[in-house]
Amino acid sequence: MNDSKTVARRPFVAFLESLVIAAIVLVLVQSFLEDYAVLAGWDVDIRNKLLLAGFFFDLFFTIEFLTRFYYALMDHRVGRYLTLERGWIDFLASIPLLIFNSGPFALTLLTGSGIALGLGGILNLLKVIKAIRIARILRFLRIIKIFRKIKNISSPMAQRHVASITAISVTVMVLCLLFFTFFSSTLQVNGLDTAFSEQQRATADYLAEKTDHPVDFVRALDTLKETRASLLIVKYRGSTLFSRHSNDYYSQYFAPGDYSYLSQNGLELFFDQRAYVSQLSRESILFFVIVVLVVAAYLLIYSPHFALTVTDPIHVMRRGLEETDYNLEVKVPARYQRDDVFELAKLYNEKYLPLKDRTQSEEGESVIQLDLTEVSHILPEEEES
Amino acid sequence: MDPTPARAAAFIKHLLSNPALNSLNPLKKEEQILQFLKTNAQSLVPTLSSSQFFPGLAWNQILRLLYTALVQQTDKALKPQLEELIRKKISFSFASEIQPHPIDEDQCRQQMWEHTQRLLQKPESRKSLVGPVTAIVNEFVGRYLEKSFEDRQYVHFELTKVQRLRLEIEDIKHMIHATMLLRPSIQLFSEGRAGTGESVESVLVQPQFAATALDSMKAQLQILPPELLHGGLYSNVSFEEDKQIDATARLAAIFSSRGKNYKPIGRVDRGANSPDRSWFSITRRNYKYYGFDIKMLDEFYKIASENGW
Repeated sequence: MNDSKTVARRPFVAFLESLVIAAIVLVLVQSFLEDYAVLAGWDVDIRNKLLLAGFFFDLFFTIEFLTRFYYALMDHRVGRYLTLERGWIDFLASIPLLIFNSGPFALTLLTGSGIALGLGGILNLLKVIKAIRIARILRFLRIIKIFRKIKNISSPMAQRHVASITAISVTVMVLCLLFFTFFSSTLQVNGLDTAFSEQQRATADYLAEKTDHPVDFVRALDTLKETRASLLIVKYRGSTLFSRHSNDYYSQYFAPGDYSYLSQNGLELFFDQRAYVSQLSRESILFFVIVVLVVAAYLLIYSPHFALTVTDPIHVMRRGLEETDYNLEVKVPARYQRDDVFELAKLYNEKYLPLKDRTQSEEGESVIQLDLTEVSHILPEEEES
Repeated sequence: MDPTPARAAAFIKHLLSNPALNSLNPLKKEEQILQFLKTNAQSLVPTLSSSQFFPGLAWNQILRLLYTALVQQTDKALKPQLEELIRKKISFSFASEIQPHPIDEDQCRQQMWEHTQRLLQKPESRKSLVGPVTAIVNEFVGRYLEKSFEDRQYVHFELTKVQRLRLEIEDIKHMIHATMLLRPSIQLFSEGRAGTGESVESVLVQPQFAATALDSMKAQLQILPPELLHGGLYSNVSFEEDKQIDATARLAAIFSSRGKNYKPIGRVDRGANSPDRSWFSITRRNYKYYGFDIKMLDEFYKIASENGW
């Protein structure tokens, strides 16, 4: 009964697995587009839609993880799921992203509030933006999951080895970047973000000092308008003293995180952070390309190499040992002939196969390609006739 | 009317129609089915000796019946193929060139065809025809000879300088094909177990045995050139035993053996050497056992490697 249920469930499970794979491919495309949109200066509308798409993907993967985890829990194989079945990837690439990355952004977009940016009050806003954006690379871990589904090599051993080495490489790269970002934030390592913050703070201080002297303030503001291209809006006690662009322009080209806000002595300043965000996007795309190329390199260069030097010769030897009429030699590439596998292959070629050939010749029997099962199928037909 | 021959024929037909045998030539199919019957005798006896098949017969009798039916079925397909091979594909124009007086080609063909039919009568020689026929049908000789003549190495030297054949490459090929067809003649001089297809696999014979057989053959086949008969019979002598064996005989021995071991392969596994290359490499290591000329094997191994055969 249970078996029939399992069989009935198989197409549905296969459909869900295909859906997950499709979602992984799409989320990678979405991640790339999210960064590319920043660099290409796409409308905020499109960028917001991409952010929302990212949120729904993360939600989807979170549900996927929780479902898998639940079933693993029911089957008492949580440990196996989290380790051997790579549930840790499902976890890292879902819940943390939903909570720390796409969730707050989506909430900001959907509610119109500044929850994501509100963190700026607690931590350095730019560092928060950076950390959030960097966290997105956790999605790249999902490449590992896709990789396991690509059956470019017939040998399960090669598949497993190459999948493992890919998983290790991608994980190390992703975690290195995450830890580096985390430590550079906590250890107050000065970088582009610090320079941006200090410049904005200095601008705010400079203007704040002049608020008591209107003539000096106007002069200072005029100077800053010319010299600080990142200064977008200056408000004093609620009135806008300066705005570089129209409101339409802001709403079309400034997404959450593209600008920062500082308030001091009744003075409110908005700064353009798109240059910094672009820098982060460039880094993100670079990292994305690196990860994709590393995976492609394993798939296209290392996999065939592994097959050539390990699994193919083993496969040929196994067939030669197992099948009576399989007498093909192992191809021994000159440059790998000292490898253990090929040393073994040489013994197989030079000792085993000639011995097998002589034995077959002495027995004088050729290998039969008919087996009894095929004939037992024929015999009843004979009986009927 | 005794229904047993018809039942035997029907059973054999069923076996022959197995798709696993489709790519094989008639003699190979016959070899396969014989092997199958012998290997699975214990499982088949209860069913085949039942009232629906061959009631009251012992396994040996059943096997004899089946063998007869098998030979009949095989001959239906084999004889036209062999006749075409001998009458149309093998040119006997070389025959006049390898001896002092001219010989009529048609007479050569006729005698070769009659002799081949004799070979088909005896299970041992019939079985030994598998290799030569497979090798001829698959054009092994022509392929390798062409490359050998391009390279003008050992094989070319042995054929043209040592054996002194003043023949075109095509004629040498035909001569080797004819030699291969005569090779199983040695089995006519051995004792066999007629009737059940059980036979001793072709083994090397002593030069003295070949010499005696040759005398007898010369008396029986007076049209075919003695040099050709000599090659056919001496191809069963180890080159280690007699270094004077004609190059054509040595080549006939090698290619007959290749034909015997030949198995059509759709796609070679990645990581494996090609079938011919593998075969020549393995056979090089067993050259003493088979009595082959190692230098010829080396040359063919090189050719197979270079051409991905």
